[in-house]
Amino acid sequence: MFDATNFQPLLARRYTLEVRQQMAWYWQALVIALALLVGLLISAAILVVAGVPAGELLNEFVILTLFDAQSLRAVLFQAAPLIMVGLAGCVAFRARFWNLGLEGQMIWGAIGATAISLFEIGPPSMRLPLMLLSAVVCGLIWALAPVLLKLHLKVNEIISTLMLNYIALNFLLHLVYGDWKDPRDNFPYSPQYRVFERLPDVFDGLSLAIVLATLVAFLVLWFTNVSRAGLYLRFVDNSPGVARAVGVPVNRVILGTVLLSGALAGLAGFMITAGQEGRLTHSFYVGYGFSGILIAFLARNQPIAATVVALLVATLFVAGRSLQVFYQIPFSMVQLIQAILVICVASSEFFIRHRIRRIQGGQS
Amino acid sequence: MSLIASWIGNIPDFAVPFALAALGLIIIERSGVLALGAEGLMLVGAMSGIGASLMTDGSTVAALIMAMIAAAVVSQLFALMVLIMRINQVIAGLALVFFCQGLTGLCGTLMNWTSRPVSGLSDLSLWPLSELPVLGKLFIQDPVVYLTPIIFLLVVLVLNRTVLGLRLRAVGENPQAADAAGIPVLAYRCAAIAAGSALIGLAGAYISVLSTKMWLADMVGGRGWIAVALVIFARWSPWKALAGAVLFGCIEALIPQMAASGIRLPQYFVFMTPYAVTLGVMIWVAVASRDNSSQPGALGEPFIREERR
Repeated sequence: MFDATNFQPLLARRYTLEVRQQMAWYWQALVIALALLVGLLISAAILVVAGVPAGELLNEFVILTLFDAQSLRAVLFQAAPLIMVGLAGCVAFRARFWNLGLEGQMIWGAIGATAISLFEIGPPSMRLPLMLLSAVVCGLIWALAPVLLKLHLKVNEIISTLMLNYIALNFLLHLVYGDWKDPRDNFPYSPQYRVFERLPDVFDGLSLAIVLATLVAFLVLWFTNVSRAGLYLRFVDNSPGVARAVGVPVNRVILGTVLLSGALAGLAGFMITAGQEGRLTHSFYVGYGFSGILIAFLARNQPIAATVVALLVATLFVAGRSLQVFYQIPFSMVQLIQAILVICVASSEFFIRHRIRRIQGGQS
Repeated sequence: MSLIASWIGNIPDFAVPFALAALGLIIIERSGVLALGAEGLMLVGAMSGIGASLMTDGSTVAALIMAMIAAAVVSQLFALMVLIMRINQVIAGLALVFFCQGLTGLCGTLMNWTSRPVSGLSDLSLWPLSELPVLGKLFIQDPVVYLTPIIFLLVVLVLNRTVLGLRLRAVGENPQAADAAGIPVLAYRCAAIAAGSALIGLAGAYISVLSTKMWLADMVGGRGWIAVALVIFARWSPWKALAGAVLFGCIEALIPQMAASGIRLPQYFVFMTPYAVTLGVMIWVAVASRDNSSQPGALGEPFIREERR
């Protein structure tokens, strides 16, 4: 009798791959948690090979960063721009737009904010809001070209946003090594912002940036889950053809969403320059573009989840900096850990969607 | 006049990495796998080339071979992600780039390979041609430059004139039909990823071992992404990709010449030109041709033979 299994390789004869009907959410959560654990174990192994004593790892990552008030403040401080880029990733991916230009948009946001400070536009009391506004507008403008090119000419946005990153980066270098260089010394950064141009602490060392970030997170939540545009966006994501047929302004929704993503990235640039550095530097953006994509991916484009993931990534950033200081581990370790986590979690999807089952019965 | 001659002489130096990387990408994408990871694999090739050169007391040939092997090995992680785990190929490609950026940054620093000079290869001059006026310097190049057209010729012959190439293209156009004809789809795709990545690794090693003659973190600087754009521009045809690589080589070779000739242009605007040109080329391709007939039919789609539902 004809038996299809005879034509399959040896292993497949007794084991088969099936598509699962559905997996309960708690099993899904368990699989993802296991994937994260595997990723962290691999990362820990790499760190040990790189020369960090195994016993110090737990100390460095968990105890020192989360149970120490000073480090916790550093994590929150670090989280604000990461929440912004994470949200920027979330909204762009909801519109099925691969916005890899987060770094370029951040750079323009920071340039926009610094321009207001440098040319002393507006009275001191209005300076910070003006800088914020300028950053948002600059980030948004830098996202305009790729989305228009994608909508009208179908130009691949992965390439176009990345190329615009390199252009923005070179423009930043042109400024900080050129006209905008602090005349007082020879380093590639702009003059220090004045006191009223920096994000103040609201209480006990907690920066205004994190308050602002939380506020924006709720606004984005409103945008994705409550607003009409958010509803359209889910419609477009599920079925662009049907959405177009029933009269959803698909192109305008995508355009608006991507511009919002650029604006959020610009805001992240503002938060770093006005909140952390206090000036425009030549490398402030390093690591944020990928982190934004990672946060959005791990949070499955959910704004609240993105905020939580951003806090974890901020922990990683802070721990990475102390590893750099104490063990001379380069900061690219942080990026490597992030990439390993993405690979592990993306692979876990396979186990959520499929199951490997042993075929019963006497076929062998 | 001597400026033009030295500009022309510099073109192959800049064109070869684009050409080899684009060729590697074409091999992978012809098998139906969307490869965005060139930037990362070039970094792996660049770093391991320098590493091998430093550890074997300057054997350049060993360094280039090591770079190819290293890139092929790392690319198997990508193969695992897209072929077995069926991860979205865009996500997998991006993850690979970020993984390689982190990995090379870490290894380069820990092994203390950064900014340590290597010897490279001495130039070969093709005698009668190297005496030509103006064009002469085009024929005083390192051996890899002369090897590049030969590699192109070999790959084109294999792709278009052999059963192996026919099967590879069949897997990329219609994996279901290829599978029905008895071609092991995943094995072909896996081999294509390894072979293409070896060429991409060679492209990276060319930059570090033969051009710059040292390793610097993130030294590929977007050339891998430009190669991805080049492949789209060339509509997956190797010869057009070679032409595009030469065009980008001309533009990049112009940058050091401008400084030497004393033209005072803001240097960072000059550095922008390759990226701006890439963007322009992408737009031009989108306006000029809207047909996707030369794109491999199954590009970006995972192959799933049959699933019991």
